[in-house]
Amino acid sequence: MAERQKGIERSAEEIVESFVEATKELPELKETYYSQEAYNIVRSDGEPTPAKERTEFRKRFISNMPGADDHGNLKVEVARWAGER
Amino acid sequence: MGRGTLEKLATIRRGELSAVENVQRALERIGKQNKKINAFIELNPKALAEADAIDRMLKQGEHVGKLAGLTIGVKSNINVEGLRATCASRTLENYVSTYDAEVVKRIRAGGGVIIGMNNMDEFACGSSGETSAFGPTANPAAPGRIPGGSSSGPAAAIAAGFCDLCIGSDTGGSIRNPASHCGVVGVKPTYGLVPRQGLIDLGMSLDQIGPIAHDVSGAALMLETIAGKNPNECVMLNVEKVTYADKLDDGLKGMRIGVSPNFAELTDPALMRVVDGAVEKLRDLGAEIIEVELPNIEKALSAYYLIVSVEFFSATRKFDGRKYGRRIEEVCGEEVLRRILRGKYISQKEYRGKYYQRALQVRTLIKQELMAALQRTDVIVGPTVPKLPHRIGEKISVSAMYAYDYLTIPANLAGICGGVIKAGEVNGIPVGLQVQGKVLGELEMLRVMWALEAAA
Repeated sequence: MAERQKGIERSAEEIVESFVEATKELPELKETYYSQEAYNIVRSDGEPTPAKERTEFRKRFISNMPGADDHGNLKVEVARWAGER
Repeated sequence: MGRGTLEKLATIRRGELSAVENVQRALERIGKQNKKINAFIELNPKALAEADAIDRMLKQGEHVGKLAGLTIGVKSNINVEGLRATCASRTLENYVSTYDAEVVKRIRAGGGVIIGMNNMDEFACGSSGETSAFGPTANPAAPGRIPGGSSSGPAAAIAAGFCDLCIGSDTGGSIRNPASHCGVVGVKPTYGLVPRQGLIDLGMSLDQIGPIAHDVSGAALMLETIAGKNPNECVMLNVEKVTYADKLDDGLKGMRIGVSPNFAELTDPALMRVVDGAVEKLRDLGAEIIEVELPNIEKALSAYYLIVSVEFFSATRKFDGRKYGRRIEEVCGEEVLRRILRGKYISQKEYRGKYYQRALQVRTLIKQELMAALQRTDVIVGPTVPKLPHRIGEKISVSAMYAYDYLTIPANLAGICGGVIKAGEVNGIPVGLQVQGKVLGELEMLRVMWALEAAA
């Protein structure tokens, strides 16, 4: 895994280097984050989802969970993830 | 002559072909040939029942939508409730969609029958159709060659005649590249015209969902169905409704078509000969051909791969294996991991200004160049891919793989529309002409594609 990652990391950096080389002569410009600046940030709330649909959605979502207890609560390996931070 | 989809719709409406029969035929064909082509990775067990419901509506004279009874394939990164949205990855191989994407809701409302989920490059990270965890897709139009990617399944499904229409996603050419290699019609709409809600994103500032079809009228019908404002979307153009299919045959008189000498610098001469032949046809059909300069077009490629890696790294942080699926870094393929690692590297605070923000400046430059060219013209035409598709399984370098996207990426960076129509063949392998239009210039783009299709 570590060796595989190292090789992939190297090839990942190659395109970064080619980018620096290709753009060194270009002038400074404004940055474009989105091609069209049509943000719809303030959205209306709309109608709430009916209770039955919400319950069914929850059932569907829980069916995808990798681990659940008898009450349908999500189980995760806390220690494993905490150790990586 | 480019009216196959419209004719099939008419036969269904007249009752000469039922929606159920249409679905049965599609399923039979898939059953016989999909093992070889690998264009579908899951079929909809409810497809026949859904078709039956359409037939009953037709018999009772009820209103049915524009796609009534047509069979539809959906790329596996778009959510269809009850079917798996795997992104062709082990990460999500058991993930069953909990809801319909907005485009899927619109297809269903239009009477389209979703028959299954299409194969693709893993997480849309690929240009060849070879990186799927479910195995590579074959090219029905050029046996032994790659079908292109990342919408390999949708393009191959259309080329093999498995269904009437498909939807794919295009971030840097993922609809147009396989459409070209498979000899079918593909359209990447203007950014913000089609809702992305329910699409598992690769690069949120670049992704667009679009149609892949047998003919231009089919692509136009699908685009009409899925396009238009969704009030729940954050970045969306304020367009209520669009119509294209009944305006395609207005001809090319007065149409200004741009061509750039910069395309030839990046493209195999054999492909350019086919493209030049198509340009001459367009001239004969009454269009005015105008030369435009796009001097920095080759710089778009590396800028794109920086931007998309940062956005993809961000998008994949949710695949941590806790709420659903598996942790992406543990099970993904090489190209997916490469983009995640690159995105992580560039996102670091000390490199952000040097790489990411610089890439966004190049995006500005590419957009300015294309907009300037499109001020003098209605569309720009040229090759879709710079080279012929390689043989399936042939090892090529990462940079050679990325090079397939040289000519399609600029439209994504600029947010303009782009469509592909078969222009001819080289050694029996299809070559697609790319037609790039203005922001919301889909009608002019489709008119040019339709004229070329009708003249074939």
